[in-house]
Amino acid sequence: MNSFKKSFSLLLVLMLGLATFLTACSGTDKASTEKSTKSGGSKDQVVELDFWSFWGSEIRKPIIEKIVDDFNKSQNKIHVKYTYLPFGDIWTKELASVAAGNAPDVIINDINTVRQRAQKNQVESLEEFIKKDPGLKDQYFPELWKAVEKDGVPYALPFNTDTRLLFWNKDIFKQAGLDPEQPPKTWDELKEFAKKIDQKNGSRYVRMGFLPRQSINSDIWMLNATGHGYWDYKENKAVVNDPKAVEALQWVRDYEQQYGDKVINSFKAQFGDSQADPFVSGKLGMIVQTATDYTKIRDYAKDMNFGVAPMPEFTPGNGHTMWGGGFVAEIPKGAKHAEASYEFIKYLTGAKAQEYWAVKNFDNVANIEAAKNAGQSSDMSENDKRVYNAAVENLKDTILTPIPLEAPDYINLINPELDKALLGSKKPQKALDDAQKAVEDLVKSSK
Amino acid sequence: MQTEIHKEAGARSKVRKSSKRMTLEQKDGLNGYIFIAPWLIGFLILTAGPMLFSLYSSFTNYDVTSRMDFIGLKNYVRMFTQDDLFWVSLGNTLYYVAISVPLTTIGAVLLAVLLNQGVPGMRLFRTIYYLPAVLSGVGVYLLWMQLLNPDSGLVNTVLSWFGITGPAWLFDPNWTKPALIFMKLWSVGGGMLLYLASLQGVSKSLYEAAEMDGANTFQRFRHITLPMITPVIFFDLVTSFIGGFQVFQEAYVMTQSGTGGPANSLVFFNLHMFNKAFKSFDMGYAMAMSWILFIIVLILTVINLKLAPRWVHYEGDVPK
Repeated sequence: MNSFKKSFSLLLVLMLGLATFLTACSGTDKASTEKSTKSGGSKDQVVELDFWSFWGSEIRKPIIEKIVDDFNKSQNKIHVKYTYLPFGDIWTKELASVAAGNAPDVIINDINTVRQRAQKNQVESLEEFIKKDPGLKDQYFPELWKAVEKDGVPYALPFNTDTRLLFWNKDIFKQAGLDPEQPPKTWDELKEFAKKIDQKNGSRYVRMGFLPRQSINSDIWMLNATGHGYWDYKENKAVVNDPKAVEALQWVRDYEQQYGDKVINSFKAQFGDSQADPFVSGKLGMIVQTATDYTKIRDYAKDMNFGVAPMPEFTPGNGHTMWGGGFVAEIPKGAKHAEASYEFIKYLTGAKAQEYWAVKNFDNVANIEAAKNAGQSSDMSENDKRVYNAAVENLKDTILTPIPLEAPDYINLINPELDKALLGSKKPQKALDDAQKAVEDLVKSSK
Repeated sequence: MQTEIHKEAGARSKVRKSSKRMTLEQKDGLNGYIFIAPWLIGFLILTAGPMLFSLYSSFTNYDVTSRMDFIGLKNYVRMFTQDDLFWVSLGNTLYYVAISVPLTTIGAVLLAVLLNQGVPGMRLFRTIYYLPAVLSGVGVYLLWMQLLNPDSGLVNTVLSWFGITGPAWLFDPNWTKPALIFMKLWSVGGGMLLYLASLQGVSKSLYEAAEMDGANTFQRFRHITLPMITPVIFFDLVTSFIGGFQVFQEAYVMTQSGTGGPANSLVFFNLHMFNKAFKSFDMGYAMAMSWILFIIVLILTVINLKLAPRWVHYEGDVPK
């Protein structure tokens, strides 16, 4: 009798333990509870789509939610639900979901890594859908469409992009005796103009003309000089130590060394971001920054007389090549309603939604028609339009740098070498040669 | 008679030869296992299972979503011969462990001894020193990034009062790891509490005897206090070593999503592994890295355990 009681209570404990364990491990995935359980076939039921993105700020969330809402109202076959996930986390979460076979239906992801995800089977191919829509690709900027294709097959639809422009403070130009309507056209002119703008108070600079790495990094300078990134996509090899890239890196280092790191750091230390941005507070005469950073000027320096132009050329005639990134709307592998997902991403990247996004966010969108309309929208002020149209115009010189499949983490090998060159511990030529070799070794080892 | 009782409770007993019955010991043992069954199941499914999967996958080219072909020792060979960052990350991690572990241990012991002096307001000081150990996570790292800002941060400002120009902490490759160690020292409070507790356990009679023999404060500390708390020091040392090798969060947050800081100075082993796993999707390779780390830490812990009898003094032990 005693042993019966004991065994029974033990069994009870075991059952309770198992029950706790099972409850803890069950259905915590929101996505799975949102999906309708029926597979193809019944056309009467509404298809529920789970849309993931990282826009959660007070500004961006209402905009994307309105776009989703408009889509839902415009038809009654598909219902989209927007879920916000933090930038960075969202993609590791997506990877886990895809691996578990539980992927979201639509996700916003980085444009320069589309090919990598295609190779790794993380996105659905859009080949079948594009066959029915052969003209779709013409509505996007060609560089962006190139980036979403792998071996001629598209795997995502471009959503937005960005580019960088030279901004200059016309009032400061006047004060320094420069023509306010004439921005520098070459790197050397840039250096000259900047010297005239520099103002010292004792040994400290109270105003500087230009700082090469204030808002962009040395890789942009190298790209502008060479006209390409670190990878030759035609020959499929690394081209890190292009002679012009070495010159560009040397130029940036020399520019910074004429002041010295201490001076630059103590100048920068007076500033921060937003209102405290040096260009916005009128302490920096010129800056090369992302076009959409204009919103800082719009919000915090309404009265600034500023000019906007493409980045100066390395040497006259070398070209205004600029780097762009961006995001795409894609269908993760294993999404259960690929056709409905495709309808939604078509809408997301269609002229109406894109124009709304462009105007409300002041963002460079991928849809050509939307970009044109946004640049003439009555919701934008004159200055807004001036900058926006300059940015759209600059897209013709903007190139993307999709990650090469043979060397996916090549940036981790190149950046430390750039650091060393700019800190002075290695000569630019040696730094880029070492980086070139490191990337070549990586390519060899991944074969 | 015994076999009759056995047949009555037949449904509940294990299947055994009817002539043999479980001894009381065996039955107790079995009950024990049933009690821990929930944890055991969890361990097998959620820890041991994935570990074995990871071991197997380290011999494949697994990338989570598209392939898992057996490639033998290729990952390990690549790690040791073709991955420069592997050696950089190992070096960084060893540097961090070799300096932070002794420093934090010594700091915690000294702090505990100081606080054990019966100074008025000791409780307040104890709370103040322990507070940093309670704070954790990204917020703290962001706070420290502000503090360590080369020109406007508090650290360099205070240094400048003494005429020292502080280095460009998180931007100078030579000072990034010291910055992290500095940050780690700020939270010695956790270890300090441990040592405080063990210090209370040192018998007062030993001190009295030493005083009567004419020992001064330092000699008392060196010959009574320290040996008596060596068991706790040993525990703290072993756990700090293991924890130190796993440093990741600081580097990830403080170098803009894991790029590894200026000139790769903050690329630690776990950060490199994370990048390989989730940026390059080279999961099989990352799993191989994790097993190498396991082996390294295992060897070090065994060395620690083997060296222990030489300096750890347990009360009641027979002296060597």
